[in-house]
Amino acid sequence: MRTHSRLTLATALVALCGSLSAAVQTRDVDYGRDIRPILSENCFYCHGQDASHRKGKLRLDTLDGQRAKDAVIPGKPNDSELIKRILTKDPDEQMPPPDSHRHLTDAQRELLRKWITQGAPFDGHWAFTAPVRPEEPKNRSATWARNPIDRFVAAKLDGYDLFPSVAADKETLIRRVSLDLTGLPPEPAEIDAFLADMAPNAYEKVVDRLLASPHYGERMALPWLDAGRYADSNGFQQDGDTYQWVWRDWVVQAFNANMPFDQFTIEQLAGDLLPESTREQKLATAFHRNGLLNGEGGNIAEEQRNVLLFDRVDVTATNWLGLTMACAQCHDHKYDPITQKDYYALMAAFNNVPENGTAGRITQKIRSADPMIDLATPEQKAKKSELEKSLNAARNVMKQEQIAWQQRVLMGDDAVSDDAIVELIRRCPTPDLSKDESEKIRKYFDEKVVGGLESRPKAKVQEWENKLNDLKDDYPMVMVMSDAKPRETHILERGNYESPKAKVEIDTPGFLPPLPPDAPRNRLGIARWLVAKDQPLTARVIANRVWQTFFGLGIVKTAEDFGIQSEAPLHRELLDWLAVELRDSGWDLKHLDRLIVTSATYRQVSRVTPSLLEHDPENRLFARAPRFRLPSFFIRDQALAASGLLVRSIGGRPVYPYQPKDIWDSLAITKERDFTYPLSTGQDLYRRSLYTFWRRTVAPANMFDASQRQTCSVRTTATSTPLHALTTLNDPTFVEAARALATKVMPEKPEQRLAVAFRRVLSRWPDEAERALLAKSLEKQRTRFAADSKAAEAFLSVGESKRDAALDVVQLAAHTAVCLGILNLDEAVSRQ
Amino acid sequence: MTLSLSRRQLLGQAAAGLSLAGISGLAGRQVFADDSAVAALAQAQDWGAGPSALKGLPHFAPKAKRVILLWMGGGMSHVDLYDHKPGLEKLRFQDLPDSVRSGARLSSMTAGYKSFPILPPIKPFKQYGQSGTHMSELLPHIGAMADDICLINSMQTEAVNHSPGVTFSLSGSQVPGRPTLGAWLSYALGTQATDLPGFVVMTSTDEARTCGQLFYEHYWSSGFIPSRFQGVRFRGGGDPVLYLGDPAGMDRAGKRDLLDDLGELNRHRLTQVGDPEIDTRIAQYEMSYKMQSSVPDLLDIDQEPQHVLDLYGPDVKKRGSYAFNCLLARRLAERGSRCIQLMHSGWDQHNNWSYHLENMVRDTDQPSGGLLKDLKQRGMLDDTLVVMATEFGRTVFLQGNKDNPKSYGRDHFGRAYSTWMAGAGVKKGAVYGETDEFGYNVVRDKMHVHDWQATVLHLLGIDHTRLTYRYQGRQFRLSDVHGEVAKGVLA
Repeated sequence: MRTHSRLTLATALVALCGSLSAAVQTRDVDYGRDIRPILSENCFYCHGQDASHRKGKLRLDTLDGQRAKDAVIPGKPNDSELIKRILTKDPDEQMPPPDSHRHLTDAQRELLRKWITQGAPFDGHWAFTAPVRPEEPKNRSATWARNPIDRFVAAKLDGYDLFPSVAADKETLIRRVSLDLTGLPPEPAEIDAFLADMAPNAYEKVVDRLLASPHYGERMALPWLDAGRYADSNGFQQDGDTYQWVWRDWVVQAFNANMPFDQFTIEQLAGDLLPESTREQKLATAFHRNGLLNGEGGNIAEEQRNVLLFDRVDVTATNWLGLTMACAQCHDHKYDPITQKDYYALMAAFNNVPENGTAGRITQKIRSADPMIDLATPEQKAKKSELEKSLNAARNVMKQEQIAWQQRVLMGDDAVSDDAIVELIRRCPTPDLSKDESEKIRKYFDEKVVGGLESRPKAKVQEWENKLNDLKDDYPMVMVMSDAKPRETHILERGNYESPKAKVEIDTPGFLPPLPPDAPRNRLGIARWLVAKDQPLTARVIANRVWQTFFGLGIVKTAEDFGIQSEAPLHRELLDWLAVELRDSGWDLKHLDRLIVTSATYRQVSRVTPSLLEHDPENRLFARAPRFRLPSFFIRDQALAASGLLVRSIGGRPVYPYQPKDIWDSLAITKERDFTYPLSTGQDLYRRSLYTFWRRTVAPANMFDASQRQTCSVRTTATSTPLHALTTLNDPTFVEAARALATKVMPEKPEQRLAVAFRRVLSRWPDEAERALLAKSLEKQRTRFAADSKAAEAFLSVGESKRDAALDVVQLAAHTAVCLGILNLDEAVSRQ
Repeated sequence: MTLSLSRRQLLGQAAAGLSLAGISGLAGRQVFADDSAVAALAQAQDWGAGPSALKGLPHFAPKAKRVILLWMGGGMSHVDLYDHKPGLEKLRFQDLPDSVRSGARLSSMTAGYKSFPILPPIKPFKQYGQSGTHMSELLPHIGAMADDICLINSMQTEAVNHSPGVTFSLSGSQVPGRPTLGAWLSYALGTQATDLPGFVVMTSTDEARTCGQLFYEHYWSSGFIPSRFQGVRFRGGGDPVLYLGDPAGMDRAGKRDLLDDLGELNRHRLTQVGDPEIDTRIAQYEMSYKMQSSVPDLLDIDQEPQHVLDLYGPDVKKRGSYAFNCLLARRLAERGSRCIQLMHSGWDQHNNWSYHLENMVRDTDQPSGGLLKDLKQRGMLDDTLVVMATEFGRTVFLQGNKDNPKSYGRDHFGRAYSTWMAGAGVKKGAVYGETDEFGYNVVRDKMHVHDWQATVLHLLGIDHTRLTYRYQGRQFRLSDVHGEVAKGVLA
């Protein structure tokens, strides 16, 4: 209520202030916040950093450029060419030109004029200078604040004459923080314990328990897998499986161990180059072998290799720097001070991998390309060498047979109809691998002779080959990085690998701090530089993404772009404070997580008041907690957890839970292998969604709104379509979970059953109205199933697990239907 | 806290006429606006909210209200079917002159070839209709509609391989990740379908599945624009839409009851937490229920009279066939879908040209021609654009051993190839562009993939340079930073 009256007052005050232009006149213009965005959006395309595209030799992105040609004369707007051009009606003179489809509003023109009147101050883009820890604001909400985050939030709310919302109740809080930190809802016993704990630090104890949970790493790995475009297959034709999942487990473990983010970065980008690097450090570099790998016939290997390099540059730039370097692949960046040379100087760091750009065939199923690391167990290794030995022996027997046969042919004891082969045998009487003839003879022998002669040796070879193949299907060879093949790197004209221009050396973008003089000029140097103290972007980019994990949106909404075209953050000081805190804490991610989730800001209710909805629909000021739909991974995991089906084991090879049975049929086109979906059985049906096999060409059908794992994705989307509703209502995953949930609550008193089920999903008890609605719903379903017990049995037979035969079929079916409804409640699929 | 209070609040706001967005961002920097406003708008126009488009769209009066894209996957041979070169027969197995060949980028399958023997078209061409357009005699049904078609013989792409080629044509980039044509159209123009998706994709394959062309989800992806704009794939078997069928034992009445109760519980919650997203969710659940009957109704082609079924040829009743999909395309067009994308793969005739090309033509000619005829009979060709396209054409020279007709074929070829358009706003009975006497180099009116994209958008009332989406600090377009509308294609 209090919030409301304040807001109404604020509204009245604002109304008194009158028009927007009046608001403009009452404050100083800030170049970075107010002016550069206008210039960037409307002018830099032709008057920016890209010299090849620059018009009229004018650039407006630098101070010198603005002062040149009387474009901007401080204090004299009417004499400044910029103002003249944006005001003229003459289409030949007018800026932006009519055909550019860019338009300035009157308010923007007014702002530009005011900026010049105020002396046209210029400064660099905020995100391009290293963050310094801002002073914490002192303000009237000091009593509300629990930590510095809250002081920044409260100060901003003060500025808009808003109050924070009240704290959420304990049930809401424990569900929220459990989902946010582990991706799983709290167990009823955990809720009870929290409710019973009256200690002032009861909540902090819950947070610490969750941060220590092995499921924390699973949850935090998810966005990292999206950013690292991780999948279990290569993509493209054949879409061969890979062993990159071993790296996925590395990521989970790294998060669980709270590996400092600088180390996390260095190991993934350059673990192989660390002195005496360990197996784990080499494995970490699988990060940059996760890209799409094209095995199509006819593709040009060198072109594909360059596509891989471009991908590495783009992913590195987006993921760590929040820069869209891809633009500079063809020309100097239009907006950001990134040159084409910068692009290729970074690409050079990834250009020494001994790879040829295509996917190699390991077995029918597995396609990976060198370099790879052998991560097999000692048993697997021993088995492999044993099989190889047997295979060689069998091949040797074949060879002996062949020699004998060749002799017989030469002696005329064995008739061969093909004269050409006889002639070859004459020229090459004993098998000799160095000769083409010998290979031709071997082929003939293999195909035409062995079967007719004595099939045993060939069958033996086949047998060992099959065994070896089966082993290799299960033998973890993970694609990793290596610098074993030094190459020259050139600027490529318009990104075309066939048009190399000037040679470049490994380097960092010129507008950012340079590599230290003693730094190695390789991936390791680049990796260390990414997390160097004076490098302004990484700490901000990562702090922003951590914030995004808990608030749905980043403080900079464009989490993938911190360049000049990015969103100017309303809460820049808060972001900088978080970035410095992250960096100076030794890149301690759990520390940052803990700070955020224990803040008063985080603990607010998420209730959306009409005023807040009107004023701040995206909740950028944090006057309430965010409320958003859960990622589809969590929706499935929650259903499994609430129903007790979830198998909580960590890591391991991907699993194949329920999917529409012909989900991969469209791939079977290649005939190269069997693309029948290998539906798991037993426990593997109920593992966390993180472990579901991710086929890059056909993503799991029930993981809606997920990143496609093709390019670096650092922002999630949560949309709402009827297709999602069909999934959570009809997918056997949810129907079976509903039955398990119903079965779990059947021992309760009849009137308590649905309430207990409700609480297992939502972490709270239903209110009276909800209890009545649930009871009404149950009655309807019961009546229907009672009239058709066959239908009830069919409904209860969805999924692999068997219904509890001791329970009444009609009762259980009716409860299952209502539980399915509970799993589909808006509140169930949302985090509030 | 009740909704009546919220109404008063909202009215109060309207009177004050100023939002936080305005105060904080000043005019030039609408902190809260851009994406969220777009998203809100999109949400409103999504799924059956009726015709609603982005503000300012279409940019001008559209000729076409919808597009049916007939994608011939694998690289359809322009040499054999559409680009008439009568001189080739005399040059059978003679080497293609070096002067013609210079500079064309070939796939790694033929790049190393030392000789390039010319392979004339598999069957003679003939002239069709009043316009006398030349096409292969293998295309009697498409040919019968020649007077409604604008044949384009001057297509050009940089791509040498399938997936990059398809991705390039449909999204403007060879690398997956950008929105595709249909996603752009749904985003820009909304949909007129009330209980069906606005962007539908249907795929089919030659029966022998000889060619290995896959249908990747990124061929209908929404890329970085909201995923609600991505194409919905109707599958050829099982549930036509994933998870469309109710679980065993749950009948329609039971589902109806469940949704009613779910709705009541959700509305109860809405009064407590005030999040308008809950309303959206309720509406989407209702729409899912409607789709469970509208989709089966759409698929029920027994409603069609025999003479209409006959137009599409003998395969029309086989669900999942190209013919069936063509008929469904018309039914979707009637129901208001904005973009209907059919993809039929099997055109990749490297080494099975002699028998396989004819199979492909048999599968696709009558359904494609029949679709045009059916649309025309209903007057729908006046506001429907039908486009046949492919990722590239095929080499005029043969790939493989010329002495073994059973095993040779043609390689990929992007420097010149053919597509066609018909219907709303398209010049009738015309041929656009021309290649040299070998079908190897474009000599007049080049139609690059980006030009083709610009032209398709133009016919739907969209200026391709103004339909943009901001992502990673840049305004992205379907036509990337290129493309000119091919005026010669327009009626």
